[in-house]
Amino acid sequence: MRTPLRYLDAVADPGLTPLETGATPGRGRRRWSLTGVIGLTILVLIGGACLATLPYTVGSGRYDDQRQSDARLPPFWTYPRGAADGARADDIRRYNELVPAATLARVAAAHDMTPEEALSSTSGPVMADLRRAWPRYWLGTDRLGRSLLLRCLAGGGISLGIGLAAAAISVFIGTFYGALSAYAGGKTDAVMMRVVDVLYGLPYVLLVVLIAVAADAGVDEYVSRARARQHWLDAGVARVFRAEHGRPPNAAERAAVLASPVNRHAELAAIALQQARADWGRDRHGPQPTLTSAAEVLQGTSSTGEALGTIAARAVPPRRLAPGARMALDLTTLLAAIGGVSWLTMARVIRGQVLSLKAQPFMEAARAIGVPWRRQFTRHLLPNLVGAIVVYATLTVPQAILQESFLSFLGIGVKPPLPSWGTLAAEGLGELNGYKSHWWLLVFPCLLLGTTLLALNFVGEGLREALDPKRGRR
Amino acid sequence: MTIAAPTAATAAAPVATRPLMRVQDLAVSFDNGAGPRIQAVDGVRMSIYPRQTLAVVGESGCGKSVTAMSALQLVPRPPGRVDRGRVLFRTKADPDRDVDLLSLTDRQMRDIRGNEIAMIFQEPMTSLNPVYTVGDQIMEAILLHQQVSPAYAREIALTAMRDVGIPEPERRITGYPHQFSGGMRQRVMIAMALACQPSLLLADEPTTALDVTIQAQILELLRELQRTRDMGIMLITHALGVVAENADVVCVMYAGRVVEYATVLELFDNPLHPYTRGLLASIPRIGTRKDRLVTIRDVVESPEEFTRLPGAAEGVRPWWPWHQPPADLARRTGPAGDFDLREVTPGHWVGLWRTAAVREQESRAPDLDYRREAPA
Repeated sequence: MRTPLRYLDAVADPGLTPLETGATPGRGRRRWSLTGVIGLTILVLIGGACLATLPYTVGSGRYDDQRQSDARLPPFWTYPRGAADGARADDIRRYNELVPAATLARVAAAHDMTPEEALSSTSGPVMADLRRAWPRYWLGTDRLGRSLLLRCLAGGGISLGIGLAAAAISVFIGTFYGALSAYAGGKTDAVMMRVVDVLYGLPYVLLVVLIAVAADAGVDEYVSRARARQHWLDAGVARVFRAEHGRPPNAAERAAVLASPVNRHAELAAIALQQARADWGRDRHGPQPTLTSAAEVLQGTSSTGEALGTIAARAVPPRRLAPGARMALDLTTLLAAIGGVSWLTMARVIRGQVLSLKAQPFMEAARAIGVPWRRQFTRHLLPNLVGAIVVYATLTVPQAILQESFLSFLGIGVKPPLPSWGTLAAEGLGELNGYKSHWWLLVFPCLLLGTTLLALNFVGEGLREALDPKRGRR
Repeated sequence: MTIAAPTAATAAAPVATRPLMRVQDLAVSFDNGAGPRIQAVDGVRMSIYPRQTLAVVGESGCGKSVTAMSALQLVPRPPGRVDRGRVLFRTKADPDRDVDLLSLTDRQMRDIRGNEIAMIFQEPMTSLNPVYTVGDQIMEAILLHQQVSPAYAREIALTAMRDVGIPEPERRITGYPHQFSGGMRQRVMIAMALACQPSLLLADEPTTALDVTIQAQILELLRELQRTRDMGIMLITHALGVVAENADVVCVMYAGRVVEYATVLELFDNPLHPYTRGLLASIPRIGTRKDRLVTIRDVVESPEEFTRLPGAAEGVRPWWPWHQPPADLARRTGPAGDFDLREVTPGHWVGLWRTAAVREQESRAPDLDYRREAPA
């Protein structure tokens, strides 16, 4: 007869369960990886500088300040210190010519020279003195004489903003689409994934163009209200016709009403009065309009169509949009278009993850303790997806930035003069030539873009490690 | 494997006159794509009383888990489908009336799951969500079913962890599953299952993934908890040693049918179905030297094994899916029309071919209000 092993006795004697108490209890210590911290620092520095200066660069329009005489100047810290002859001497002569006349005169006087002689000095103390007065641009200027530093900052703000927002949209759509598809399973899953397959089959540029064009048309209508005004006009014609005939007009009758003289229609005067009262009601300026004063609107018009058009222009006026607002709308369209087409991979990855998680025993255990459907989804499924979501989000941000650059290059994306890192790099590439490299126009945007993308990847890796409880025990 | 001195069924004092759960003629099938549906479980009958351990034994795929999962409506549908049957359960809320678990809505079922019937699974390594602390997971079960504050739920969780023998629960409650060993994780699963004081525990191979020492501890723990809480346990296993040590009543399944149902002593002393005999004969005995072990096939392939039942002369034959059905099969409609679980000797049920001789006999559903004596 075996003595039963009394578990509760065993607990009382800790010597019996040394292995069970050996594991480190409590929350795993959060370890930050060095690369993650470095990446985050770089990202915060670049992103903070670009985004924080947006009001200064884009808000005040400084990114587009042009000075033709300063075109294609290199960064000031690369200016030559002197040259005897050759191409460099030409450069120095050009820079000397950019020195303000007063400074030139002062320097020339100090060295007992005429200003013309001073201008052509390409070395020595005269040139050194003039050199101090050369225009100074930290990162040089582009072919229109705009400061590359300001354009890089503005472009960075726009690129990062679009990248982050588009990635956020794509991650949101992708996560929920993929997770719901896998969670629903069966026919729903099949249909939802076939939709993704079809979208995958279409070239994404086509989709982006379609979305951008459709959105553009929508914005145009919102601003001009042409259709709304036409609608108002048609309603007016119908009202005039119905007052006489008691039925709506057909096409020929509508044209006849439009062409008919103004005087015939008492109803037209009523419409004019109604509109005049509405106008007056908005600001209560001047005397309240009467039928007589309203009819003055109709005086100068020859036909009913013209009269109605005049009233329609007041009833449905076009909206005035600040240029900044129009710009913001264009950018929103762009990021919605990019975000709206780049969630497909995300959806597939998340679906795969959910399918494997769904089969995990802990999901079954959750069902077995009576966890409701929605709670299983939000509490047990989504937190297990954080790793995949973070990794793909950090991959999607650079991808979105690259797509934005590509679209800008094609002329669909950010419209000039608004800069983005992509357009700046494209411009810089165009400025490269065998005689003069203008290297700064290509190097700085690319350097910023590359550093940012690398930093994003480091941050993503660091986040994944920090968020994954399974890695905490190292 | 030692079995204590035989105790009569009458020795154990009856705790309740009505079973806690009765499975009646359960049939579950699964969609098999283009092929015919797979009949996972067919004509299953069994019953569990409070404070009773019913061991369900059988090889992989014989329908043990599907039976337990059906009781909680956890069989994925589709591809699964309940073809027939009822699972009657005595709820805590209304002990006088049995409810059919298979007819409950999803919302009603959620109130049963975890609260009235709890389940623990085979893989303690993966049955816990890796992103939450074990405390969160135990408390979730409590907060879902009881109107208590989170602070009070934490107290319950701590008590449950203490009850299942997790040392220093105040410290371990904030630990993540990966910080626990396999045995400790299974204890967490049990604590989760017990936190709401269920009246029935479905233990689906709770010790298969654990080594024998931990296995003994966990089973002893379950027995202890069963005694203090009047809980019925359905112990799904394929370890006959575990059955002999823990079970009150044993239900042997094969190919989706219950082939034998009896008290543990009766079953081990007097197995009636050839499959059960093969199962018992195939266990190697320590201390005996053999060149070749007996297999189940050795037993079930000898025809005389199938002619030993009382009434064999009249045509009472144990059911066996690989045999040609007897000529005088009294079919009835339904997939399991050729099969019947019959009380062959008092308190001993065997799965039989439904021949004319079988049909004429009277038989009651398997129902044994028996518990063996608590070990001293």
